[in-house]
Amino acid sequence: MLIFNQLSTYLYLALALFAIGLYGVLARRNLIAMLISIELILNAAMINFMAFNRFLAPHPAVGQVITLFIMAVAAAEAAIALSIIVAVYRKLKTINVEQATELRG
Amino acid sequence: MGDPILLGCLATVILPLLAFAIIMIFTWRHHKLSLAISLVASTIPLIIAWIFFFKLAGLKQPIIYQFDWLISDQVKVPFGFLLDPTSLLMLVIVATISWLVQVYSIGYMGGDPGFGRYYAFLSLFAMSMIGIVISSGLLQVFISWELVGLASYLLIGFWYEKFSASEAGKKAFVVTRFGDIGFFIGLVFLTLYFGGLDIHSINTAAQTKAMPQWLLTTSALLIFCGVMGKSAQFPLHVWLPDAMEGPTPVSALLHSATMVAAGVYLMTRLFPLFAAAGPTALTIILAISTITLILSSTIGMVAWDIKQVWAYSTVSQLGFMSMGLAAAGLAGGTLFAGAFHLTTHAAFKALLFLCAGVFIHHFGTNDFFVMSAQGGRKLTIPMVTVTIAALALAGIFPFAGFFSKELILGSLAHLPNKIWLILGLLGAFLTAYYAFRVIFVMLFPRPKPPDWVQAQIDAAAGAGHGHGEEDTGHGHGHEAHHGVPLVMSLPLLILAFFTLILGFCQGWLEKFLLGESHPHDVDLVLLVAAVGCALGGMGVAWVDWGSSKARWEGFLRNFPVLENFFIQKWYMDHFWRWFLNSIIYGIFSKWFTYNDRRVVDGGVDAVALGTIGSGRLLSFIQTAFVQLNILFMVLVLAGLGIYLLMGR
Repeated sequence: MLIFNQLSTYLYLALALFAIGLYGVLARRNLIAMLISIELILNAAMINFMAFNRFLAPHPAVGQVITLFIMAVAAAEAAIALSIIVAVYRKLKTINVEQATELRG
Repeated sequence: MGDPILLGCLATVILPLLAFAIIMIFTWRHHKLSLAISLVASTIPLIIAWIFFFKLAGLKQPIIYQFDWLISDQVKVPFGFLLDPTSLLMLVIVATISWLVQVYSIGYMGGDPGFGRYYAFLSLFAMSMIGIVISSGLLQVFISWELVGLASYLLIGFWYEKFSASEAGKKAFVVTRFGDIGFFIGLVFLTLYFGGLDIHSINTAAQTKAMPQWLLTTSALLIFCGVMGKSAQFPLHVWLPDAMEGPTPVSALLHSATMVAAGVYLMTRLFPLFAAAGPTALTIILAISTITLILSSTIGMVAWDIKQVWAYSTVSQLGFMSMGLAAAGLAGGTLFAGAFHLTTHAAFKALLFLCAGVFIHHFGTNDFFVMSAQGGRKLTIPMVTVTIAALALAGIFPFAGFFSKELILGSLAHLPNKIWLILGLLGAFLTAYYAFRVIFVMLFPRPKPPDWVQAQIDAAAGAGHGHGEEDTGHGHGHEAHHGVPLVMSLPLLILAFFTLILGFCQGWLEKFLLGESHPHDVDLVLLVAAVGCALGGMGVAWVDWGSSKARWEGFLRNFPVLENFFIQKWYMDHFWRWFLNSIIYGIFSKWFTYNDRRVVDGGVDAVALGTIGSGRLLSFIQTAFVQLNILFMVLVLAGLGIYLLMGR
């Protein structure tokens, strides 16, 4: 299949993932849903790195290294974000982001 | 460390300072220990002073120990000691009087809860006064000068629980500071244009005309401002009568040898500078001191508080001294007349106050009419000594005041303008009158006093010994005192002895001060006039207050307007009150307050408010909608990306 051997295919996939993730972050009011959406955005970035690595600069596998790196960062981020969400839940008894308005200016 | 003179100088200054520090830090709770420390620290300087006085007599060149404390380009500010005949004489006076006052205070202040503190302050006072006397540079004099001001503030307001006492202390401090501004500007002028503050070189330069005339005139007048404040010259005399709020021995110290004498001493110390200051400056000084003389003697005529009378007599005698110095400067005379009167005055004025202290201590009142009614003359030693002192004050032969007044009147007579002499004689007349008003009232009490006196006696009795200012802070227990304790009468006798003999030391003192004794051609007319004035004053006082037919009203009763004017103290207190209220508070304070509130505080407030305001203005960004913020972030990043990638 020729289509899987093209850079643009992967970039469109990444774009789609990024757009879905961005929509999720902006539109969902549930904090966990927002967290999942952020993971989607990160995945989009990782696919980008892998695609560029595969098609444009294959020899030093820097793109793959960075992808692994992003995975580690994403794991850490998920841990921190979940603990923040738990704290918010303990305080507000909800994880609806519209209820967390204590810092309104 | 071989030089005994330098060691002696150091000891006279440092010992009292050490005593002050030790008492204030460690021993002020232990009255006897504090007393012992203070007495030791005043006895040693006393001995040193007398040894110096006799050993160093006939000194040709002044002894100077000094080092440059501050050197900046051409300007040198020396610190050190300068011993010349003037300072040796003054050192003896200061050391002796402060020692006598310390001894006397054992009796007077006994039982006061602040006994230790009192002796600490006395030591500080002695230290700073000795500092003025033997300093070699004017800046050092100025520092000691301010320390004297501080010590007098502390001592006048010693019974600080009493509002009037703390107010009086504050008044003394502020008023003298007012004059010190002038003094300090004078020092700045001398530093800038003469290039140093060394007393000896200033005097030498003034004598040899090495300074420009304008500088001489300006600096002399400015330094005289300081003298006006310290020596209570018109119009800055107002603090001195209020300074009576302090304990009476303090008044004695303040009025004879220290505080007020510091001003006149500075004039004698810088006499070459003043003498070279030119006729304009000297005439201004002469006029101010003459006004002081007349003003204070007239107020003394109507005061009923014995300490007030002596306070005004101090003011007038100080006026007399600076008249003598200014006249000597004008007529090309020497500083001897002023310095001699300073010496004799120190003796008899200390005596007057210490006697007054005995009476006040004994009767618990300051009103000499009340003392008289309660049998003041039964206290033999103080009564005799106060009479001797009053005779000296009035200038009656053979007491000390006679000789020194004679000399001052003599130098006034050398002036071409005879008005000064006439005013001086008038001052002598008034002085004799008010001094003997007190003496005659005390000596010849009435079996049935006039109504107004009876009213005062009743008021005093009604207040039950509480009328006198002495009773506020410390339990006196007047009932316990019978007779006068030895520690209080001994200083009286010593001072009375000095009052008797000092006059006859005139020739010797003149030789001591000037190196040679001029035979004084006694002006017989002047002598008769002076003694006549003094005796006339006494005579009028006898008619008004002494003789059995006297009505105890005073001849002033015939001139009610004048009497009221004197009772109101020439409205000087009113003037200063008005000056304070409308000029200082009304204009300067207002401006400064406005500046402080609006410019200083306002500036700080504006910065703070600006920060808060801009924060408020931008706080709408914090909407508390996380997703809105993310949306903005994304949009901005997208915009940036588009701009960076495609904008070029």
